[in-house]
Amino acid sequence: MRRRLTDIAFRTATGLCACVACGLLVVIVWAICQRGWPALSWRFFTEQIRLVGADGGIFYNVLGTGILVLTALAVSAPLATAIALVQAVYLRGRPLGAMLGLFLQVLNGVPSLLFGLIGMIVFVQALGWGKSWLIGGLVLGFMILPTVCVALVERIAALPSRYVEAAAGLGLRRSQIIRSVILPQTKGGLITGSLLGLARAAGETAPIMFTATVFAGATVPRGVSESPVLSLPYHIFILSQDSFDPAVVTKVWGAALTLLALVCSLSLIALPARLKNHEEANNV
Amino acid sequence: MLDSAYARNHRLFYLFLSPSIHMKSAVFVLALVFSAVPAAMTVNAELLKINGSTTVNLPVAEAAEILRAERKMDIQVDVQGGSSGGISMLGEGLVQMGMASKHVSAADRAKFPKCDFVETHIGEDAVALIVSKDVWESGVKALTKEQIAGIYEGRIKNWKEVGGPNRRIAFFNKEPGRGTWEVFVHWLYGDAKKAPPVSFPEVGGNEETRNKVASTMGALSQLSSSWADGRKVFALSLRLDGKDILPTDENIATGAYPLSRPLFVLTNGKPTSGAQMMVDFLLSDRGQELVKKHGYMKLSELKTSEAK
Amino acid sequence: MSRWKRPSVTLVVCALLTLVAVFAFMGMLAVFVAQSAPVWRSEGWSFFTQKQWFYRQQLFGIAPMLYGTVVVAAVALLVATPAGIGTAVFASEFLPRRARLAVKVAIELLAGIPSVVYGLLGIVLLRDWIYRALQPFDPLSGDTLLTAGLLVGVMLLPTLMTLSDDALRSVPASQRLAARGLGLTATETALRVTLPQAWPGLLGALLLAGGRALGEMIAVFLVVGRQDNQWPESLLSLRPMAEAGQTLSSKLGGPEINIAYGDPLHWAAMVALGLVLLVLVATLTLAGTLIRRRKPHAP
Repeated sequence: MRRRLTDIAFRTATGLCACVACGLLVVIVWAICQRGWPALSWRFFTEQIRLVGADGGIFYNVLGTGILVLTALAVSAPLATAIALVQAVYLRGRPLGAMLGLFLQVLNGVPSLLFGLIGMIVFVQALGWGKSWLIGGLVLGFMILPTVCVALVERIAALPSRYVEAAAGLGLRRSQIIRSVILPQTKGGLITGSLLGLARAAGETAPIMFTATVFAGATVPRGVSESPVLSLPYHIFILSQDSFDPAVVTKVWGAALTLLALVCSLSLIALPARLKNHEEANNV
Repeated sequence: MLDSAYARNHRLFYLFLSPSIHMKSAVFVLALVFSAVPAAMTVNAELLKINGSTTVNLPVAEAAEILRAERKMDIQVDVQGGSSGGISMLGEGLVQMGMASKHVSAADRAKFPKCDFVETHIGEDAVALIVSKDVWESGVKALTKEQIAGIYEGRIKNWKEVGGPNRRIAFFNKEPGRGTWEVFVHWLYGDAKKAPPVSFPEVGGNEETRNKVASTMGALSQLSSSWADGRKVFALSLRLDGKDILPTDENIATGAYPLSRPLFVLTNGKPTSGAQMMVDFLLSDRGQELVKKHGYMKLSELKTSEAK
Repeated sequence: MSRWKRPSVTLVVCALLTLVAVFAFMGMLAVFVAQSAPVWRSEGWSFFTQKQWFYRQQLFGIAPMLYGTVVVAAVALLVATPAGIGTAVFASEFLPRRARLAVKVAIELLAGIPSVVYGLLGIVLLRDWIYRALQPFDPLSGDTLLTAGLLVGVMLLPTLMTLSDDALRSVPASQRLAARGLGLTATETALRVTLPQAWPGLLGALLLAGGRALGEMIAVFLVVGRQDNQWPESLLSLRPMAEAGQTLSSKLGGPEINIAYGDPLHWAAMVALGLVLLVLVATLTLAGTLIRRRKPHAP
């Protein structure tokens, strides 16, 4: 009897935790939707900001965030592929490979603010680029490197060894195996990792506020130096502190809802593959 | 172009040995490769970059919208670090125009000897001491200079000491570097440098200040008077020589209300042609209407009252 | 093995790109160290112990910021740990597979919410709730270390939950089955079989989440009050939680970095804040990762 009671109590306690976690999600999403929904309209997405955020839309903010995120993708994908191959293929099972894994974990932990700071010191100041979308892309790409890389490494590690053995049996060299077997078989990992990384990159404010975005006036960048873009997170950050008009508030929530939708759809696309991978890896 | 690329790379190298901000060091091998890139890829069709005070930002950002639309100008406006951010970024040559709600001080000029700061006066703004509704309704409508200094220095901590309710004073200090703060301590102490070192919760932008004061009981802060709406936050009078003086347009224009500040756009020497267009526009009738629209006093109002 | 001898183009390219990434990180560290050097020379260890930061007086002491950072992270962990690990235990031990996936999806979505959105919610909702809830303690305003800590706690929840779930799932299912076969209830299985084996993973998860809490900036910045030099009368007192404060990251993300531009010592002090933050977070992350690596043995 006592055992049964303990069982029920424990189930209830942990179940409550789960309810709180899921409840929080509902409350947060509801709070954002409720406030942001009235702002959404066709004009909101197709016009540029006017009257310091009180009128117009967020077209160039969405565009700027898109540019930053795509640049980050272009920076991180090749680097991540290379590192994953080195770690999971060339250095498989060696101490140096483990070190590389550790390095990625540390990189993953570095606060995003510090990436912004280093981007400012090196590119904006020392190299004199001024604020530029490319710095933002580089910084964000570097920031999401571990996310992309770890997803790919997991996938490579889960690759059935008979694939590689069969290829080796055919007399293929290691670089040929990588190109014809490992990369094609694991590109799902690269895509999943990239999507997750991009979801993180799209929502970050701290790395880009000193390096890549301004509050108003930037449109489509035409060069590299002195070519900032607008962005959704910085827009929200500035307006949440500085706005002079109640009309701004609705617009800010609209922007927040847009950003949330963007980020969530990125991680939702990546979700099925990710869950499948995790479940398999843990042999449930 | 070659020269500048060389100079950059060279600077990169020796600056690492002596790391100060003027010298700006960096060590990325990667960076060396990248340093040649922007020179080749920049298309700089008369870009005007502006940074500085959030207060001046309101009319300037709207003027920029108009100039972008009508003259196809390329203007970027940002508000990092308030007036001081505008001054230092202009001094560093990172922007072509600064926005400031205070004079450029001698210290600023000494810090950036290469920059010839030119102030263009575009309007005037008063700093109000604003309080939350509960303080206003309890009957605190004015403070003397001594009382304000007492609060700022932490000697007066409760509203009852200045005739209000028994409640702690929640003083939100404007971030150092904001024009509002400079004007405030300049009035109290004669010079920002003589201001005693204090630590209070800090607020940055104007909306943040208004929000936090409105939602906190016993709150007090400095805020541009045009933002004191009289519904959620209330502007106190200053009790000077026994007279309560409100930050009304007339009191500001005549100088009876001492806590007022000029609004400037700043350029380095002679403005670039883009900056000149912005200056001309701000001083034109349409530009001055924008200044008025955002709650500040335009130049003509100041001049007529001075003449009176 | 003779066919592996000459390095292939693929290997060379991969190795080069890896080196680029590693050196970029080393370079980042080197820049932080080099640029912060003046303040280490002038302040030395007192940079950590001084309780005053007044840049106009050239006083640079970060003890109150370290305190604020630790308190915010501690509150966050205190809130997120039971909820995060509890959710993970519930999902992995009690829920059928489909329901478990639903919970995981919800948590993944929670993880995706950008920190600036949390900050916005913090300003609009949490600040006021905390202000009202703390009324018995007469708080000065709703900007407190507690507010920041709670907000970060909510942000940590997905991280903690995902990492804990990984730790729990890494205990082989066969052991659970064996335990149930011996007649143990699900609770007893969880408490006596799963958790004892998963604890390194859980501890690692805590450390990693702690690292994340230390570095969070945007959300903290908006609700912590940014009051310098808040050193508590007693380190054990809970009172300062109802007061405003400053953390390493909220200082670093604020406008002071723009003011510091022209002043070598002030600039060095700001960069040093970044370096301290980097070292703290890297240490926690490293420790967490190493502990997590000690996976439970298969039967």
